[in-house]
Amino acid sequence: MTSAIVGEPLPQVSAQEKTLGRAIYSGDVKVAGMLHAKLLRSPYSHAVIRSIDTSAAEALPGVKAVVTGADVPERAWGVAHKQQHVLARGLVRFAGEEVAAVVAVSEAVAQEALDLIVVEYEEAGALLDPEGALDGGAPKVHAEGNLADEINISRGDVEAGFAGADIVHEATYRTHSQYPGYMEPMATVAATDGTGKLTVWTSTQSVFLARQRLAEALDRPVSTIRVIQATVGGGFGAKIVEERSSVIAAFLATVVDRPVRVGLSRLDDIQSGCFSVPTRIHLKMGMMRDGRIVAKDVQVLADCGAYAGLAPEVMLVTAMRSDNMQRIENVRTKAQLVYTHTMPRGAFRGFGGTQMSFALNSHMAVMADMLGMDAIELHRKNAIRTGDVSVHGWNIGSCGLPECLDQVQAAIGWDEKRARPKGTGVLRRGVGMAAVMHVSGNRTMGNWDGSTVVLKVNEDGRAVILTAESDMGQGANTMLSQICAQELGIPLSHVTVQAPDTDSAPYCLGSIASRVTVNAGHAMLKAARQAQGQILEAAAEKLGCDADELSIVDGVVQSNKNGNLFAPLPEICRYHIFRRGGEGILVRATHDPQTVMMDKDHYGNIAPAYSFAAQAVEVEVDTETGQVRVVDTYLSDDCGKAINPLAVHGQSNGAAVQSIGWTLYEHLQFEDGRVMNGNLADYTMPTAESVPTIQSGIVESNDPNGPLGAKGASETAILPGAPAIANAVFDAIGVRITDLPITPEKILAGLAAKEESQHA
Amino acid sequence: MSGKRISLIVNGESVKAEVLVNRLLSDFLRDDLALTGTKRGCETGVCGACSVLVDGDVVKSCLSLAAQVDGKTLTTVEGLGRIGDLHPLQESFMAHGGLQCGYCTPGFLLAAADLLSRNPDPQDAEIREALSGNLCRCTGYQGIVDAVRNVAESTHGN
Repeated sequence: MTSAIVGEPLPQVSAQEKTLGRAIYSGDVKVAGMLHAKLLRSPYSHAVIRSIDTSAAEALPGVKAVVTGADVPERAWGVAHKQQHVLARGLVRFAGEEVAAVVAVSEAVAQEALDLIVVEYEEAGALLDPEGALDGGAPKVHAEGNLADEINISRGDVEAGFAGADIVHEATYRTHSQYPGYMEPMATVAATDGTGKLTVWTSTQSVFLARQRLAEALDRPVSTIRVIQATVGGGFGAKIVEERSSVIAAFLATVVDRPVRVGLSRLDDIQSGCFSVPTRIHLKMGMMRDGRIVAKDVQVLADCGAYAGLAPEVMLVTAMRSDNMQRIENVRTKAQLVYTHTMPRGAFRGFGGTQMSFALNSHMAVMADMLGMDAIELHRKNAIRTGDVSVHGWNIGSCGLPECLDQVQAAIGWDEKRARPKGTGVLRRGVGMAAVMHVSGNRTMGNWDGSTVVLKVNEDGRAVILTAESDMGQGANTMLSQICAQELGIPLSHVTVQAPDTDSAPYCLGSIASRVTVNAGHAMLKAARQAQGQILEAAAEKLGCDADELSIVDGVVQSNKNGNLFAPLPEICRYHIFRRGGEGILVRATHDPQTVMMDKDHYGNIAPAYSFAAQAVEVEVDTETGQVRVVDTYLSDDCGKAINPLAVHGQSNGAAVQSIGWTLYEHLQFEDGRVMNGNLADYTMPTAESVPTIQSGIVESNDPNGPLGAKGASETAILPGAPAIANAVFDAIGVRITDLPITPEKILAGLAAKEESQHA
Repeated sequence: MSGKRISLIVNGESVKAEVLVNRLLSDFLRDDLALTGTKRGCETGVCGACSVLVDGDVVKSCLSLAAQVDGKTLTTVEGLGRIGDLHPLQESFMAHGGLQCGYCTPGFLLAAADLLSRNPDPQDAEIREALSGNLCRCTGYQGIVDAVRNVAESTHGN
């Protein structure tokens, strides 16, 4: 063994090139002869395109092509619902939908040409509010109707559960759409070459899913497309398969047969989505006097906007994931996903979990009060435990939720702060908490959730990893490098991870469902051990001893029995090649976890491991202005084993602030379906000044299925923030906010209503 | 559009160029000088990813014109340090988790350098205020604040 690398708070392997400003993002890629494209968007939410006159735009000097829906492939692309085209064909379904594109010698010329395109629209009635989507007279978004998906799940006997419950509480919650807010707006460079191949450099969470989608949208074989991941400036779910600009860029390159760059402005990026799925959740729960949940009835109405994308999968998570966090038997869920004439919504960090976490944790706090029980106690009472099988068939191999609750309770000073007298001044403080769970991996695609890693050990004993799992800043490459270095007994700096490239990397699903650490980490572990085995075999042959007695320590292969028997690793790697029948060290390992796809009833152990988290916050509410300020926050993440604690804290802290933004500051505003605040001045994400010191803790439950015990981190951490803040606001001023975001107007209205009811 | 001849120092090197008078400094740096460490994040002066130092003061290059920096001395992230000789802020951002995706990092480094040149021993609140013209979506700012504080403390030996 070498000095510990796994478990150390090491800088990310990409940190140096990023601090030097030398990491290459898609927008930095420059190819000889590269042209630039700009996109024309629909100003209407729902309209028939009567005609498009591109003649003036085409005549502008410097313009190389003007492309409209009439020019794009007929084949539609999508996840389960194939309903989008490269550009809108005859009909626009949301304000912001791409109707034409100009390719020109510069962005400035392309922009000027956009203004010369004349589109004749015939506006149609638009469905903007999901509440009315299923009414008979509602404008139809798609010919088949406005219901995109419906999920019904029933376990146990819900009616009997309610009948026997000591208390029952029901309420309706509303969650709004959040912009992922990655700092890098989408950018893509696409180029065709003399072999007919189309190469696409883009900002993506999955090069293979990106390639699949391009093949579908451009209607050509996957092998004629090569997708290379540039450095990704944040993804948060939106860069899986729902953004559309990379598809348009790739198509334009085939039209002009030259390299084309599409770099979205921030306004473009916001107008094109992909925001999170907004929901209305009606929750009814029954409990016994001791706090046990005995019945749960859930109704979800979710809005996917104009196209379904990943939203059906997102809604499934909203509908049932949090049921698995608690020992419940009787649960019934009806969830409906509807279309509206608004921007498509879909995957966002937490993948539907934040929405239900807000409802469930708000509800738990209310019912704890009804029972006169502490909210943390109530969570503990119902928490699923290691070894349990959940109501939907999930095998809980490790559960650090009780420890997460202990950590946040102590860190925030929960008991003292809950016991203090309620404030009566202008500024009033309160504490709140929430508990959550998430998957680490998810067997959903073709009954495979595997990951393959190719490992080369060069003749100087240094390693190169080929994978198509994506590092979008979260640290996947660092995790892989740490496991590789530790297992091979070499320094971290001797490991390189190749950027994902569909032509050279093994097939991988990419950074989705918090699956990379648990699955790719495992494949990495296997590959490194395989390479180590080959190295030790070669060394045994060269040194004339048993491989069993050899190990690699700090770059030297040495015998555990005879101190004089050793050889530097590079010498053995060269010997592995330069002998009769030799070869360079090149190994491949796949790990497909022993999980079970959900059956048609949504039952099945879908992930090899499940991660948990809890968060407690303290807020200060200004009862005169209605402003809510988070003054303290502590989030504990059960990530199984922190392969890199610095990275895990980074995920937890970043998630905590992203959820503060969602809860208090970020508010997408529409007027007639048009985004009114499509810029970062008016769509206000948290700044360093608007948040307190962010604290986080790690719980290591050492999952038996995780590589070295590890599970996913990051997505779990986005889930508890909003309800923890809402619960703290209630603790501070006695006002229960059930619809996000928590704005000063809602606080003041709540205080006024409370005052009125007290005087009534 | 008329042009203007400009002469300036960028990262210690003398640069002479003919630029259109409406050429944004961010575009000039990225596209003409190939200094792509300067990022475009919002093009409205809010996110700070395009921050550079002009005569030592932090400036948002998406709100500046190339013509305005005639005769000035500029530092972009590429001029802050190099492999084997990193700027203390670069080392500290790496060590304290001051970055993840890295897109905002050049801007934060230069805003922090500007702060420490004016106020070598800032309190956390002063660090947060000085960096509030820059947005980061990954770190929750904690690693960034820790990194800047650490450089200030190690410089002051306390």
